[in-house]
Amino acid sequence: MRRYALFLGCTTPTQVLQYELSSRWICKQVGIELVDIEDFICCGINQNNISLEAGLLLASMNLALAEKRGLDILTLCAACTGHLSEAVEKLKDPKTRDYVNSKLKTVDLKYEGKVRVKHISRVLYEDIGIDRLKEKVKISLSKLRVAPHYGCHYLKPSSAFKGFDDPDNPKTLHHLISVTGAHPVEYETINLCCGGKSFPVSEDIPKFLVKSKLDNLKLKEIDFLVVQCQTCYLMYRDQQKVLNRKFHRKYNMPVLLYPQLLGAAMGGDLKDDLGIHLNGISVADFAKKSGVDLK
Amino acid sequence: MRLTELDPKFRSEVLNHEEAQGLNACFACGTCTAGCPIHEIFPEYDPRKLAKMVKLGMREEVLSSPTIWYCSTCHNCEQRCPQDVKFFDILNVLKNMAAKEGYAPHSWIEQTKQIMKNGIIFSITEELKAKRRALSLPDLKCDGERARKIIKLTGVDKIKDQGKA
Repeated sequence: MRRYALFLGCTTPTQVLQYELSSRWICKQVGIELVDIEDFICCGINQNNISLEAGLLLASMNLALAEKRGLDILTLCAACTGHLSEAVEKLKDPKTRDYVNSKLKTVDLKYEGKVRVKHISRVLYEDIGIDRLKEKVKISLSKLRVAPHYGCHYLKPSSAFKGFDDPDNPKTLHHLISVTGAHPVEYETINLCCGGKSFPVSEDIPKFLVKSKLDNLKLKEIDFLVVQCQTCYLMYRDQQKVLNRKFHRKYNMPVLLYPQLLGAAMGGDLKDDLGIHLNGISVADFAKKSGVDLK
Repeated sequence: MRLTELDPKFRSEVLNHEEAQGLNACFACGTCTAGCPIHEIFPEYDPRKLAKMVKLGMREEVLSSPTIWYCSTCHNCEQRCPQDVKFFDILNVLKNMAAKEGYAPHSWIEQTKQIMKNGIIFSITEELKAKRRALSLPDLKCDGERARKIIKLTGVDKIKDQGKA
């Protein structure tokens, strides 16, 4: 059995509980043991705005906490993935590591550079593999046409993800979607950012970015937008409501988190295991649309 | 703008930060701006223009500009740069400098306060605890002690809010 320290981040465990719920369920099914480290704190990415030093120190603290337990980190949020992975790269430089450790001493921690950081989708893709995932699928969701959305920090900055997928033409989420029988649909704005990191400063930015994506998807007869980051999830879920209210639009694109889609194909309970109802999607509607029999 | 209003030291002030070293390699081709999703919505946010303004020494204009905070951190600018300039890092250096001068937006200051209190950027309310228990999710620890100690070392806790400087 593979073991990972589960890095929840800030937003998933407070606002998108179904992402955590379905991720934990999936990991149990495929034999990944998740270890909760209650001392984990914010990854530090937003601190970069006002202090790169604070951003790096917060990331380093989390890496040190995982290293202390001899574990690699499994992330759910794309931004945590990008920021922690970037920190791993920066801390390969002994000078930077020494500097960081001189500060971590204050909190009785030390980082030696042994931790790897992987997003849950990457763990499923690389550690478990497409073939083994296929063996676990009980229900083919072949009625579904879904649009994959990767999330910027899942693969960028690419210097922190050497040898894994291609940020300009990503394919791993497509493959992971295909495992479920659902059809991943190609569309032009696939790599467009959700704007989540601008949201605290300007709510207009995600609003217009979400609009661009949804206008593109409207032409493609999509059942669900499938994301793998809770911030992307929140932007697409909430900004369509804002657009409908302010600009009299009629956007109605349901958004799923990837583990929910995979979980449905693996026969998970749509409500208790995957929390589909928490997406504002009726379980009965989801079952009908996707061809899942309700028990 | 008059030449006397420029700050000739601004460029070296920025270059003193290791993260901003790439600035010298920028030849202002504009590939960063062309690939920037924020520029498409708000043309006034313009990575190429910002790099130029730093080189010219337009210190006050750059650091006080509300647009430097618009970036959504998608990394397209650095991914596509033919000169391998990490504009994303340069922008962070500029924002860090602006923050020190009191230009940081309220939301980023508030997040720091939350991290120092809770360890994460949100409060862990009784309502949330109940929701998590109803889904059989483990309790979250609500402790920012370590984060508080670390953040204090950087002096970020002393940074003032925009408008309150």
